[in-house]
Amino acid sequence: MPQSIRASTSAGAVVFAPLDGAGRAELVERRLTDAIVLGLLADGERLPSETEMAKRFGVATVTAREALEALRDKGLVDTRRGRDGGSFVTAGRDKTRSVLDARVRSLSRVELRDMGTYYSSIAGSCAALAADRVTDDDLERVRGIALVLDDDETAARRRQGVFQLEVAALSQSARLVREELRLQAEFAPLLWLWLREPEYRQRSLDARTAALDALADGDAESAREHTVTHVTGAIDWLLDTKTRLEDPA
Amino acid sequence: MNAPTSTDLDCVAIVDTTFGDVFSLIDGWRQRIEQYVATTAVDAAGIDALVETLVVPDLSRDGALIIGAGFVAQPGFIPDAPWHLAWWLGHANTFGVTGPAAPALRRLVAVEDEHSESFRDYTTLEWWRVPAATGERHITGPYVDYLCTDDYTLTSTMPAFRDGEMIGVVGADLYVNDIERTLLPAVRGTGRRAALVNASGRVVVASDSSRATGSLIRRGAWDEHRVVPCANGLALLVDD
Repeated sequence: MPQSIRASTSAGAVVFAPLDGAGRAELVERRLTDAIVLGLLADGERLPSETEMAKRFGVATVTAREALEALRDKGLVDTRRGRDGGSFVTAGRDKTRSVLDARVRSLSRVELRDMGTYYSSIAGSCAALAADRVTDDDLERVRGIALVLDDDETAARRRQGVFQLEVAALSQSARLVREELRLQAEFAPLLWLWLREPEYRQRSLDARTAALDALADGDAESAREHTVTHVTGAIDWLLDTKTRLEDPA
Repeated sequence: MNAPTSTDLDCVAIVDTTFGDVFSLIDGWRQRIEQYVATTAVDAAGIDALVETLVVPDLSRDGALIIGAGFVAQPGFIPDAPWHLAWWLGHANTFGVTGPAAPALRRLVAVEDEHSESFRDYTTLEWWRVPAATGERHITGPYVDYLCTDDYTLTSTMPAFRDGEMIGVVGADLYVNDIERTLLPAVRGTGRRAALVNASGRVVVASDSSRATGSLIRRGAWDEHRVVPCANGLALLVDD
């Protein structure tokens, strides 16, 4: 029932959901890195113990330890001993930025573009369905959440994520909502990277406004189009950024 | 439009009994909570212990329709927990459960720190807002509850009071799947094209499979149908 009390209750469930397959330590490391970069795990937040983390990911304790070591090497986590000890997130802006830049460089253009294509087809379908199924009450609530200009990257990312999740919920499809959540966990750190720039925080706000206006008009095609255009714009920016990172001249 | 037929009324009786049974559970919990807070100094541990003893037996019952239940406090009512949810998830509730393990009855983990960046005010949500405004029982949904059931859900809530002041809402969640199984025969039993809708016109169950659950029959279009009111804000829309 308590919908929306804490977006990261479900995001948190996704963060620590069990992993399978090979290279588990890398997967644990990747999941935690994403969560830190996204601000789902905040600077200074205490991580679960190695044993607890191993249990939640469904991996061996030694695997969780290995992942934590890798995060320590990247400078994203600090482990302190003693009574108030434990592993704490130490991600400053510069550190998360360099982690993300490295990831942008490591992925090919075709992978990044495909990520945008798949995400926009899910998010666009959610928006189109929502246009037929939204009530005035729903709109008022989502406007209250979505139509705010953030002056901070983490807050802007979180707002964009919550907005997309709310629109997915308005589609009335439980499967689409689950897929949206899964895709956010997988893609969100890169997809909405442009929110680090104030100019694009404004662009995203304009896009959310346009999508909500289309929902209010009950215009499914316009709602889909605004959503797809928004995602495509963010991917175009990402590819330009990749070019700049690879060829600073 | 025409007066309801006897088959319409048979359907409404089944709908009202189904949700009435859920609300009578909730009302029982509400009374116990109101008695408790009238005589006891309130703290989070005490409220949690009470709510657990109230809702867990009903959530554990074989064939129980409810898949989540509890008490959500008025902000500031519980001195040591300004924002507080005492909410339990039943065995049938698969939220957050992955892999082959069968889900166990468990407490919903919610972060209640209003300074956390991801915190959001639950008093703006329909299942709180409507009963708080009207003082009445309310059914929210169908809606995709992505934080608590991960599925298509109906939430029944009612307010609880102390000395005339609202102290929170008491409620329970149902899966729309289960409600469809329970109520579809009754809606079909009208022998007409019929749909059970919530107060906004959102379809809960329809006789006609082309009318998707969750789609809207907007209130402006209700006079095209025979509107037979049900309890708790629901209505049966029947076509002759």
